[in-house]
Amino acid sequence: MTNAVSIRPDRPALPEWVRRLPEYLMIWVPLLLSAAHLVSFSLWTIWISFTPSTLVPVSGWVGLRNYSAVAASRNWQIAFDNLLLFGSSFVLLSLVTGLALAILLDQRIRGENVLRSIFLYPLAVSFVVTGTVWSWLLNPGLGIQKLVHDLGWTSFKFDWLIDRDMAIWTIVIAAIWQSSGFAMALFLAGLRSVDADIIKAAQIDGAGPVRIYRRIILPSLWPITITVVVIQLQFAISTFDLVRALTNGGPGIATQLPALVVYDLMFQRSLLGRGAAAAVLMLLILLAVLLPYAAWRYIQRRRAAHA
Amino acid sequence: MPITTTRRRLLAGSAAALALPAFARAQGAVKPRLTAISQWSAGSDGAAITALGKKFEEKGGIWQHSPVPGFTTEMMNKLRAQIMAGDPPACSQLKGPEIAAWSKIAPTVDLDAVVAAAGYEKVVAPDLAKLHKPAGKWIALPLQVYSTNMLFLSKRAMDKAKADKIPVTWADFNELAEKMKAGGVASPIANGGTRPDDGQKFEAALAGISPLAYRAAIMNLEKKALAGPEIKAAFAQVRRIADWMDPNVGAQHFSTNLKRFVDGDMGMMIMGGWAQGVLRNAGFKFEDFTIAPGPTDNGKPVFLLNADAFIFWQRKEADLQAGQTLMAQLVMDPAIQTMYSQITGSIPVRTDVDLSGEGWSEGQRTTSAALKSAIASNQALLSMAHNMAQENGMTAAMIDVITEYVKDKTIKPEQAATRLAEAVEGAR
Repeated sequence: MTNAVSIRPDRPALPEWVRRLPEYLMIWVPLLLSAAHLVSFSLWTIWISFTPSTLVPVSGWVGLRNYSAVAASRNWQIAFDNLLLFGSSFVLLSLVTGLALAILLDQRIRGENVLRSIFLYPLAVSFVVTGTVWSWLLNPGLGIQKLVHDLGWTSFKFDWLIDRDMAIWTIVIAAIWQSSGFAMALFLAGLRSVDADIIKAAQIDGAGPVRIYRRIILPSLWPITITVVVIQLQFAISTFDLVRALTNGGPGIATQLPALVVYDLMFQRSLLGRGAAAAVLMLLILLAVLLPYAAWRYIQRRRAAHA
Repeated sequence: MPITTTRRRLLAGSAAALALPAFARAQGAVKPRLTAISQWSAGSDGAAITALGKKFEEKGGIWQHSPVPGFTTEMMNKLRAQIMAGDPPACSQLKGPEIAAWSKIAPTVDLDAVVAAAGYEKVVAPDLAKLHKPAGKWIALPLQVYSTNMLFLSKRAMDKAKADKIPVTWADFNELAEKMKAGGVASPIANGGTRPDDGQKFEAALAGISPLAYRAAIMNLEKKALAGPEIKAAFAQVRRIADWMDPNVGAQHFSTNLKRFVDGDMGMMIMGGWAQGVLRNAGFKFEDFTIAPGPTDNGKPVFLLNADAFIFWQRKEADLQAGQTLMAQLVMDPAIQTMYSQITGSIPVRTDVDLSGEGWSEGQRTTSAALKSAIASNQALLSMAHNMAQENGMTAAMIDVITEYVKDKTIKPEQAATRLAEAVEGAR
């Protein structure tokens, strides 16, 4: 009824919630759907991990037997050690490489756009492609070692891919090649957002470029560093396709990673219960990274609100 | 031959009709239809199953095959989903002990009457037959057979070694490898670096050293046999083989090195019969290589069986039931098995098929003769590396140990034997 008379331009506004209805629909429906997916399947996996399921999910209770079987298996132990080594070295090295590239690119050089695209480009390549290409490059009989031999340095040796102790580093190399461009992009944005006035003030005070970087620019990159570390860490923990294409867990089982073990248990060995237990263990490792990050974010926000 | 075949088929048909009134009624009333899933989508495998489908249609059936390309495990994921949804295919690819494992999660079709009518049991290797009737009744039918321990010899490598005798025992084999090395063959053993590849080296070694120990330890998982001296001897032989391989293969597929094998840069290959098809597809000639049974210390061929099969899932629909009977009859038919194996390069499951005619290769004839001899001397065994001896979980646990041993030369044969026994215990 009111509508009929409210042709006037200053018609009364619709109630707040009606006006915002499209926004709510846009946000809450997908959010609820994805949360339901994520949460319900996570709970389902947790349930399966306590059952004696093998080929198909069955009900029943075996307590922690699946967990102890996974934790006692050589595959998981190797995978866990590899994850610690791969995770820490990959995160650290991609951080350093990304930062170095960002600082070099930040020198107002010519062709910056081209270089930036080149360094970012690996990110656009699928991990399977990265893994396959590097498996050729690193193969002693086909790739870098053969090239150097053919050039005349016949004593040159670079056979990490087939060396059990060094093979995990080939994954680190490929992963850094793939994702240090990403770290670079984030750092570059951080470098560009440092207040130019502060830098000018420091220059007037006679600070050299090294000192400016050390005392002003790098400390202001701290929040970005944390973000990069967390994103790279969760990538490291869930690494699957890269290893599968590059070494497939080999030589032998030397480069197993948790995600490979989960897939292997569930779909190669048809041990759904044990695979689910391994998946839950992976989730716990992820939480060990993400919870401190969430706490840190919370504290930061609290501090900002108080300031 | 064709006349007997037809008569046998007629006989099979009428006996099946007597034994299975429900099927017979269904067959009379409706057009047989078959829903099937397999991983065979391309190459010779795809061509062979398409040809089988044509035959099915010629008999008046409706052929509905949905291939799931990729690994067997991906086909299994689809099968699992369909079974859980209560809608299994009328028939699906499945092999080895997985038949027994999967038959526990969904009802299967009792094929005893059709099989008896075809007189099939007499012409199938006994250990193979057992796999397809896990609870005493036939529920699945093998389709084609490969041996996983054939020995491929490179003609040019043999020339370099100035050798012309095919090695029979492992001692002969080792001697020939040394000769090849001395004659300038860079890697006397050609190979890939995948998990089944490493598994095949071990199973060939153990079965060749002692078929009895292989049966007890790998097929029956007897503790005493797993701790026996034959296991250590087999690991020691695997170490010698590993030392003659090209270390640079990494995780490559065996087919990557076929050119080097034919060129005489690599000498011998212990591989399944399917390698013949791969070699031929790659454009190499029969004169480039020789195929022989894998080395055995008692001189009689040991045949490590790998057989593809179809399992039949229970369906209520009359047309699907009729389709299942027709499919079972086709799969057991010698003419169909001949057609199938000639396309894929395998050998027929039936030991009464004559391979002397046209369309068969020398390699297939050798393989078939080896199978007959192996069955006679009770040396037809089930392949571990290709999931015929044990379920996937147990096989994977064993191959973990073997693949690590092949790639890590600091592990002693005794250590590997202990680890194998432990892995078996852990996966039981």
